Amino acid sequence: MSLVQRLSRLQSVWILGVLVVIVVLFSIAAGQRFLSTGNFSLISQNIAVWAVLGVGMTFVIITSGIDLSIGSVLVFSSVVAAKVMAAVGGDGWSTASLGIGAALLSGIAWGTLNGFLVARARIPALIVTLGTLSVALGLAQVLTGGIDIRSVPESLTDFNTYIKIVGIPALPFVALVTVVAGAIVLHRTRFGRYTYAIGSNQIAARRMGINVERHLIGVYGLTGALAGLGAVLALSQFGTTTIAGQSLTNLNVIAAVVIGGTSIFGGEGSIFGTVVGLFIPAVLQAGFVIIGVESFWQGVAVGSVLVAAVFVDQSRRARAQRGASSTRKERT
Amino acid sequence: MTPLLEARGLSRAFGHVQALDEAEFDVRAGEVVALVGDNGAGKSTLVKALTGNLEADRGELLFDGRPVSFTSPAQAFALGIEVVFQDLALAPHLNPVQNMFLGREIPRRGLLGRLGFMDERAMRERAEAGFRDLGGTVTDLTARVGEMSGGQRQQIAIVRAITWADRLVFLDEPTAALGVVQTRHVLDTIKRVRDKGIAVVLISHSMPEVLEVADRVQVMRLGRRVAVFEGADTTVEQLVGAMTGGIR
Amino acid sequence: MKKLLVTGAAMVLALSACTSSKPTESGGGGSPAATVDPSAPAATSVTAPGKASKNYNIQFIQGVAGDEFYITMQCGIEAEAAKLGVTVKTQGPQKFDPTLQKPILDSVVASKPDAILIAPTDVTAMQQPLEAAAAAGIKVILVDTTTEDPSYAVSAIASDNVGGGKAAFDAIKKLNPNGGKVMVMSTDPGVSTLDLRVKGFEDAAKADSSFKYLPVQYSRNDPATAANLISSALQKDPDMVGVFAGNLFSAEGTATGVRQAGKTNTVKIVGFDAGPNQVKALREGTVQALVAQQPATIGQYGVDMAVAALDGGQVTPKVQTGFTVIDKQNIDGEGAAAAYKSSC
Repeated sequence: MSLVQRLSRLQSVWILGVLVVIVVLFSIAAGQRFLSTGNFSLISQNIAVWAVLGVGMTFVIITSGIDLSIGSVLVFSSVVAAKVMAAVGGDGWSTASLGIGAALLSGIAWGTLNGFLVARARIPALIVTLGTLSVALGLAQVLTGGIDIRSVPESLTDFNTYIKIVGIPALPFVALVTVVAGAIVLHRTRFGRYTYAIGSNQIAARRMGINVERHLIGVYGLTGALAGLGAVLALSQFGTTTIAGQSLTNLNVIAAVVIGGTSIFGGEGSIFGTVVGLFIPAVLQAGFVIIGVESFWQGVAVGSVLVAAVFVDQSRRARAQRGASSTRKERT
Repeated sequence: MTPLLEARGLSRAFGHVQALDEAEFDVRAGEVVALVGDNGAGKSTLVKALTGNLEADRGELLFDGRPVSFTSPAQAFALGIEVVFQDLALAPHLNPVQNMFLGREIPRRGLLGRLGFMDERAMRERAEAGFRDLGGTVTDLTARVGEMSGGQRQQIAIVRAITWADRLVFLDEPTAALGVVQTRHVLDTIKRVRDKGIAVVLISHSMPEVLEVADRVQVMRLGRRVAVFEGADTTVEQLVGAMTGGIR
Repeated sequence: MKKLLVTGAAMVLALSACTSSKPTESGGGGSPAATVDPSAPAATSVTAPGKASKNYNIQFIQGVAGDEFYITMQCGIEAEAAKLGVTVKTQGPQKFDPTLQKPILDSVVASKPDAILIAPTDVTAMQQPLEAAAAAGIKVILVDTTTEDPSYAVSAIASDNVGGGKAAFDAIKKLNPNGGKVMVMSTDPGVSTLDLRVKGFEDAAKADSSFKYLPVQYSRNDPATAANLISSALQKDPDMVGVFAGNLFSAEGTATGVRQAGKTNTVKIVGFDAGPNQVKALREGTVQALVAQQPATIGQYGVDMAVAALDGGQVTPKVQTGFTVIDKQNIDGEGAAAAYKSSC
């Protein structure tokens, strides 16, 4: 199959086309105000947290699992990190690193719990992560009395405000590194290969000697760790723990992953598609605000794009199957 | 000559169903043995017992004349035995190369390999060689296995099996879902496997196919072996008779 | 292996290309003539400028969309904008939350308005984004809520929330001359306006020996949560005599909860804010008094300050507006004018 043929079959390429169309439309409507590096820099900063979460979610959905708990794990991890940093005191990077470590550990712990319940106890992922969604958020509220912790070390908030790495603002840079690393692991390592295999045919994977349980625990653990990293980025961005602000994060990230071409039935998907899928709601919202349309329409637009994307993907898949079976009779 | 794999007196019950009742079986190196029998005769159970997928209640197994006992498929695999079950155990979203090396990927040398990076080029070359060897019709090694025909998928499964198993391969109903031309290709593949020196045990319902490829045919009925025929001078009537108990 | 070394070297180089734009000195130049100092005394009104010298582009960012308080403010803003000859556009997040408001602010800043009127949803999280907006040359006017350090803003206009809390206590006292247990149903801690109202009420209640002040509850600005919380609080203290509901959503939820508990006769509710549902509740007797702010006036002053700042006129850095107490006696008179609108 030629490169062009292979590219045209990828959902993520089509979605990139949709994104380009949206950008063109808004640029025509709003000109320089929309099409500026400043605007895209801000959009990238605002989706940085989702991008980090999206990497983990892509792995999970490729295994035909799901993780609804990422928003709550993020909140819990940010609370734990904030408490550790407040207890140690100070504004420097040594304090911040303790917080970062605490957030990552917290994320890994929740993720591993999810993975264990899904893989060993054989409880459906939807149910497990629905449960941890409630428990993690509830525990975070117990720890704080529902009140956001505002004492984040200056070094951490300065990271978002002032730091640029090779000219890219700090938060999008971290997100970019995470995305690239995630793509390399998914597409080039055994861990990624097994992720696809388990999602494609779990029985076959097991038969070929792959330790499916251990791998799934690893995938959910990775997602939890990335939620912990997202917590650090959110603390850096807002300077508080945003306890009430993550209730829709899981759905937004899942929507982005699915829009980007990862099938909820498992076996296929890409990090690149997820990134494109993340930009679409963010660009839509930014564009609507800039041209002065009520941001309520953003919800309508994103929901429609999501359903349309999955519909197009389904019909493309069905056509490919039919095409294959007709050539099957000829080729044999 | 000593059989490659031999079973004596295998018995296994599931509840009060006696699936294997003092069953016997043998296959020699470099031959194709067909295992036939009516539904419920115990063929699948026997294959599972011979390959480490099931433990027998009683009886013994001998490999190269030495007693062995399998508690897991990995042990059978270690001796060079592989099974291709009817579901083929292929991941439809992966391509033939990825499927061939599933679970046994070739790592890159050095640190990268330990981190999990794979040697894609080496795997592709070995896969190409394997397919060329068997002269199959799988041409596009980058297409998804799920979009290929049943015959091609069967070939991929067989190529995978013989890549890793160098002594004995079990094929469970390989042509059951295939059309005439595809069946032809699979049968040719089986002959070529035998010609490479790997023994093949073929379970099949199709008597004509069996008679075409098999060197010997072993008939099972009610959990035990009831007849052994030489492939060259057997008729379908004889086989069916043995299967149904018409001829003792 | 070589590839790994090369990648590693590239990353080290990249990280060393880390630049920081943090100012090393404080008090950079170029700040506007009048900046907001929270400790300065507040004016209670402003001198309205004449017509603007050009049709400025002003953006109003509400604390939450769909809230009658902010809709009334929008009406006041639009009326004053028409009078002064400037354009105003309004945006607001779906929830009173900085994670939703910040992206909207970012997009508004990208559209390069001349001035922004904003009700920040968090004293900490919105601090830096608003500083950035002011640094980009946009005049920022804070309406209703504020942030930790509002010195970047041209003007901050809000109700005298401490006085409002005290007025709410006086209203409760008028309804319960014999004293008793009283409670505050607030929204979220960290919202400057609510915290001040709570403080005003709490100080007044603690100064009066015939009243017992129960711990404040937080409804997360969700009427359903307020209803649940008041139900539980009534279970714990069934002899409660008065609740001060800190804002519109809290009042709605508290009224529902009290009604469901069948305590409408014994528990007096004083609400802050006078949306149509609350006015209805007042008429029906579920709520006994409402302390209404003057959001239209706040909005109007906001536009005035924006135009004044842009035209170089006189800017008043801190303004506190008053409130009207609405009860059954004046609901059809002066009270009606003070009620909030659900559309302009």
